[in-house]
Amino acid sequence: MDMLLQFIANGLVSGAFYALSALGLTLIFGLMRVVNFAHGELYMLGGVMGWLATTVLGLNFFAGLALTLAVMGACGWLVDRFLIERVRDQGEEPSILLTIGLSIFLTNTALLLVGTAPLTIEGPLPNKPVFLGPVVLTELRVFAVAACAVLILAAHLVIRHTRLGRAMRATFQDPMAARLAGINTARVYASTFALGTMLAASAGMLLGSIYSTHVSAGGLVSLKAFVVVILGGMGSFAGAIVGGLLLGLAEALWGGYISTGTVDIIGFIIVILTLIFKPYGLFSTQVERA
Amino acid sequence: MKFERNTLLALGLIALAFPLLVGNQYLLHIGIMVLLYAMLATSLNLIVGYVGEFSLGHTAFLGLGAYSAALLSLRLGLPAWATIPLAGVISALFGVLIGAITLRLRGPYFVIITLAFAEVLRLIANNWVDFTNGPMGLSGVAQPALLADASPLMAKRFYFYLALALTAVSLYLAYRFVYSNNGRAAVTVRENRFVAQSVGIRPFVYAMRAFVLGAFLAGLAGGFYAHYITFVGANVFGFAFMVSMIIMVLIGGKGTLIGPLLGALLVTLLTEYLRELQELRLSLFGLIVMAVVLFLPNGLMGFLNQRRERNHSDQADNGATGVQGGPA
Amino acid sequence: MRKQILAPIMATALLACAPALQAQDTVKIGLIQPLTGSVAYNGTADANGARLAVKQRNAAGGILGKQVELIIEDGQCSPANSVNAAEKLIQRDQVVALVGAFCSSATSAVMPVAGKYKTPFLTGVSSEASLTEKGNPYFFRSAETDALLGQAFSRLIVDNLGLKKVAYIGVNDDWGRGSAKAFEQELSSHGVETTLVEYFNHGATDFYTLLTKLRGSGADGVFVAAETQDGSTLVKQIKQFGIDMDVFGVGSWATSDFIKITGEAAEGIYAAVPYVSNLPGERNQRFVEDYSAAYDHAPGKYAAAGYNSLNIMMDAIQRAGGTDADAIVDGLHATDYQAPNGRYRFTAKGQGYGFEAALVQIRDGHTEVVATTRIADPEANHAKDGQ
Repeated sequence: MDMLLQFIANGLVSGAFYALSALGLTLIFGLMRVVNFAHGELYMLGGVMGWLATTVLGLNFFAGLALTLAVMGACGWLVDRFLIERVRDQGEEPSILLTIGLSIFLTNTALLLVGTAPLTIEGPLPNKPVFLGPVVLTELRVFAVAACAVLILAAHLVIRHTRLGRAMRATFQDPMAARLAGINTARVYASTFALGTMLAASAGMLLGSIYSTHVSAGGLVSLKAFVVVILGGMGSFAGAIVGGLLLGLAEALWGGYISTGTVDIIGFIIVILTLIFKPYGLFSTQVERA
Repeated sequence: MKFERNTLLALGLIALAFPLLVGNQYLLHIGIMVLLYAMLATSLNLIVGYVGEFSLGHTAFLGLGAYSAALLSLRLGLPAWATIPLAGVISALFGVLIGAITLRLRGPYFVIITLAFAEVLRLIANNWVDFTNGPMGLSGVAQPALLADASPLMAKRFYFYLALALTAVSLYLAYRFVYSNNGRAAVTVRENRFVAQSVGIRPFVYAMRAFVLGAFLAGLAGGFYAHYITFVGANVFGFAFMVSMIIMVLIGGKGTLIGPLLGALLVTLLTEYLRELQELRLSLFGLIVMAVVLFLPNGLMGFLNQRRERNHSDQADNGATGVQGGPA
Repeated sequence: MRKQILAPIMATALLACAPALQAQDTVKIGLIQPLTGSVAYNGTADANGARLAVKQRNAAGGILGKQVELIIEDGQCSPANSVNAAEKLIQRDQVVALVGAFCSSATSAVMPVAGKYKTPFLTGVSSEASLTEKGNPYFFRSAETDALLGQAFSRLIVDNLGLKKVAYIGVNDDWGRGSAKAFEQELSSHGVETTLVEYFNHGATDFYTLLTKLRGSGADGVFVAAETQDGSTLVKQIKQFGIDMDVFGVGSWATSDFIKITGEAAEGIYAAVPYVSNLPGERNQRFVEDYSAAYDHAPGKYAAAGYNSLNIMMDAIQRAGGTDADAIVDGLHATDYQAPNGRYRFTAKGQGYGFEAALVQIRDGHTEVVATTRIADPEANHAKDGQ
């Protein structure tokens, strides 16, 4: 029983982290329909920038996070304006190939610049254990889960209650009509991509402070993030949260009662089953456009 | 059609003469890798180029073929002439199963579900230690018996001609498929699903045939890989092979038979010769891939065909060559 | 049109392929290591050690009166890419010997290539036991196998740590599985009870589920087979989780990088390593000084492996008196190399033995050698059993 409680707690924490690391992809893949295989690399860059800011520049965690967000937001904007913009509305293929090229470039350029060693980011709180009855957590983990909630809420508010958010929703529903209504859709796309990049980077830095990061961390993150987004239904923040928690719980229980060596398989099995029985995700409200 | 067939025949003749003209075994090895990738790219192209769906799980069939051949050879002692075709057949059977599930989905959903299948197979291969030997992999896959006391150069030539024969079979089957009613129907589905349905084409059936043929050809390539490299590990299901294949098909030009061949040739040579640049090479490779997407959106063949059409603006039958690929 | 495009491609291909025609005024040795991808960190350390060995040898006049040229290729630990690299090194660069491939799977794929071209091939890292059992006369290994390391350390661990029940956790690859199995066998034969055997995937970040099982297993010690990245995350989380067990294991843990990344959590853990920078002996002191001067940090297990394997290969070529493959193979068999970590010799099958390995504990942010032991000649045991 104690074991089960601990497994559930582990699953919820890692699920929250999965949700956080998939948020950026929810925007970029879920709303913009860019199958972004460089998502994991944007996450990795967040961790590397965070490491540079806190270790090399000596900033504290939050100043480092702010700097990382600013730089990565600008990067995201530029990537969209100079790369993604040119293959917009051409189906998945060019954007997949483009982002695969980008991910190869980013991983290996980061490797050239900061080397292959694992990097640790000093977290804002100590990693001391916290006991809740039979369940063990750490302060930093509790903080990270709270930070996930804040970021998710913030992103949700941006989309629901700001001018930019309204423009985004209009653009992704019908770009032509949005343009006719006077929305500068190119700017909306770039802002969305920048926002997605910032979310990925903040996840990379936050989780880098809990685990550690390194330049080839991106591939696995991309795969898990796609699983989460598909599970939750494209473009839905609530879906991404549920998808993340579901993946976390499933992995914790599979690892706990079956084996940890095969734990990655459960996510893909759930994806396959979801797509067979509920093709547009567990919680998608929108029906696929023809 | 005529242009494509003649070019294929010319390329085939060059390839036939190649091992006789070249005594350098490294070049022969590169040639063999080019042919291996040509098979893989051709098989993937059947799905990407003629079904119009983007599969990121094609390594499932490469891996199934490689593991089938390796296991049949190591456990049952079957010779290569039996294991390679059987590898294709086993892959094709899985193709039926996986295709029946995945081809119901389209767009990004198809992309992700095919990827999920390849990953599931990779994880099974990596963890089912009793059957696949897990992460230790299968080593010492037998070379064909007649190579027992051949010199390395003769062995290389043998493998080159074996790869060439398999590539020729792949291209012949792909050619027959593409220029059959099947292929024309598949192109119609790719270009406009609704028009296709309205003239009585059932998209699923044609997509399925292309998918299974693609799986069969990738399985053959996997069988060849197992016997040539002699070691098979779970990385044959990995994303790295997928990335190479995709880049080859799209750089060469999908939806053409020559495109994937050109792509395989270019990308294999590029990755080998970028070795000179040591650490810079992969960064540069990433940049080249991005540049191709931006500046040659229809791949090399798209570019060549445009030039060709501009040159001979007379009765160029662009319908049959089906070049300007991709759903609009 | 088509030919116009193809012709330059073919021409460049042929040009670039033409083997270097100038006279061989250097002795070329090829090194295949993973320099990109997820094990690049360790591959780079190995390559650094190798570069240092060659630089020193060249400064001292080289071998056979010529300078040594080290050509390093990235094999990415993938069998196919490592084979490509081997073909390129042997055919195009005309190296006289090959070192490397790191991962056992990659080494396993390169072995038949080396055998076919009759090129001596030495690995300083790959630990899969069966590699030296394949009867490839050109293949040598200057590294311990999982089984040899297990044999060497099980007694030491039982004596020093006094463990009764042990859990085994390994990374889910050939090395992690092999190490966990070897130590489990050896420790069981000393009467230690096994409570848990689990594997995790390379790159995993969250080990809490595994640790929950570990806590429930009732073990008093845990064996871990993991490299720097996975190992530091795992060890940190063991401490965070409040598990108070003796942690010991194999992997590149006895390095300043590992201690820096792991922080306080590294305190008190034991590592069984073939090399650590504060091994006693003047020879090691000199190696550490030279390496630190070149790379600004002390060498770890893989840097030493690269350094030793290149030195062994260069000695063998020197002993062969030329670049004939069979003479080099004889040279390798005659190896008696004084390394920073003891003395290397080879069995008839090409398995290295005779060198020291150390049980190291991390105390106050430094490595301390608890005990050293010699990797025994595996054939000696066989001879005893068989005859």
